[in-house]
Amino acid sequence: MPFLILLIKASLIYGGLLVTAAVMTLAERKISARIQLRIGPNRVGPGGVLQPLADGVKFILKEEITPDGANKGIFRLAPIMAAVPAMLTVAVIPFAGETVIFGLDFGLLSLTDLDIGLLFVLAFSGLSVYGVILGGWASNSKYSLLGGLRASAQMVSYELSLIMTALTVVALSGSMDLREIVEVQNTGNPLAWNCFTPVVGQVGLVLFVIATFAETNRHPFDFAECEPELVGGFHTEYSSMKFALFFLGEYCAMTVMACLTTVLFLGGYSVPFWEDAPWMVELATFMAKTSFFLFLFIWVRWTLPRFRYDQLMNLGWKVFLPIALANLLLAGAFISLT
Amino acid sequence: MVDLLFYVAAALCVLCALGVVVSANPVQSVLMLLGSFVGISLIYLLAGFQFLAAIQILVYGGAIMVLFLFVVMLLNQGDPAVLASEQGLLSKAQLAGGLAVAGSALALLLAAVVRTEIPRPIFGYLWPEGGLDPLVGMAQAMFGPYVLAFEGASVLLLTTAVGVMTLAKRQRTKPSVKAAPLSSTTEGSP
Repeated sequence: MPFLILLIKASLIYGGLLVTAAVMTLAERKISARIQLRIGPNRVGPGGVLQPLADGVKFILKEEITPDGANKGIFRLAPIMAAVPAMLTVAVIPFAGETVIFGLDFGLLSLTDLDIGLLFVLAFSGLSVYGVILGGWASNSKYSLLGGLRASAQMVSYELSLIMTALTVVALSGSMDLREIVEVQNTGNPLAWNCFTPVVGQVGLVLFVIATFAETNRHPFDFAECEPELVGGFHTEYSSMKFALFFLGEYCAMTVMACLTTVLFLGGYSVPFWEDAPWMVELATFMAKTSFFLFLFIWVRWTLPRFRYDQLMNLGWKVFLPIALANLLLAGAFISLT
Repeated sequence: MVDLLFYVAAALCVLCALGVVVSANPVQSVLMLLGSFVGISLIYLLAGFQFLAAIQILVYGGAIMVLFLFVVMLLNQGDPAVLASEQGLLSKAQLAGGLAVAGSALALLLAAVVRTEIPRPIFGYLWPEGGLDPLVGMAQAMFGPYVLAFEGASVLLLTTAVGVMTLAKRQRTKPSVKAAPLSSTTEGSP
């Protein structure tokens, strides 16, 4: 029986993740169209909602090209390395509290509840660098290589700020278990959410959100692609489903990072002014909070211009890291005072 | 089940470690090293050290190996033909000496492993159920009784890094006449 429950949970959560990724591709195009005073895709299905499905079919039917001189094994490995870590990390995200569906007790609505859940997410999201760097190298093309090198340097640099800021939350909550982190904030009072901790919370939230942008290679930090300079960056030479896997990895990583921001700073599934809300309300609250950050990803992409590469590196090492460290110290002071 | 998983992880470690040394392509070597680290992390996980396993992936897999890849790609090993000719540069005596050193190290290691009494049920029994928090326990051990060993190990690592740089530098400056165009490009980039 527990195995069956686990199976249902897994299919629900992974189905949800993939659907979110598909919806995100549509949302990206719809919102970008709105921002640029266009209409966007509206031909496939009512209002264009079936566009992701059409895209998927197109990707499968396209010819698959492997460039001459590419390192075949690694060329094939790279899209897998891009997609798999992003999908694995969703396993520890708690989507709702105690869940009972049709009399079946599902427990916490997350695949697994690890003591070191946060470290798990950070460790595996760190591995997604390999997709970018290996894809860039194995393609045997100068644009791909430059894109891959840039992106990996960027991801490693911003990972530091990301981890430091996450550590602030760990210090505030006293746990690395994502469920614990949510439960500490789930008091019915939204002011208990980590983003409302004076100074530390706000600085942490802003830093964390910006670092997730850099970590997922999104605008204004999308040096992995950088179309005007590098054609398509690390995935220039990729086609068909391999290209789709890179895309899927990116959107899954975005979704997970939005979930993580919600869990760390916005109280996860905790509903304002209602401590013991039923799981459906908790899930809806979680999704609403996460959707905001997902929208932010798109909103920023179609609003801000891209940084220059040296600006990005200076920002990461000379501004973000010191602020993140200072914020961590401040959190320590805050904890010892209260 | 746990035993089987251990053998899989151990085989992964050993095979990947062999792959690091054997593969001709440096990028492939780095990937093999990554595989070996994943195997080690799996062994940590089987022994109940969740934290160590995650840190192993986070620090070695996510950061250090990326740096290795980065350096390997940036340095660009040059013409494959030249590299292949350089591979034959080891003389027979050097080869024999290297093999002898490696073989005796292996023999020492094997002797040590065989003679050490390893408590049979190592996996899953290390932390009592709901008892000691592994994270707190490890932190207390690391910064309490073993703080000197911990700091000593980090100094040792630093010394090794500096030593490797010094040695590599010495090797590089000798045939600089031949590699003049290459060194001029590498000097510019830090």
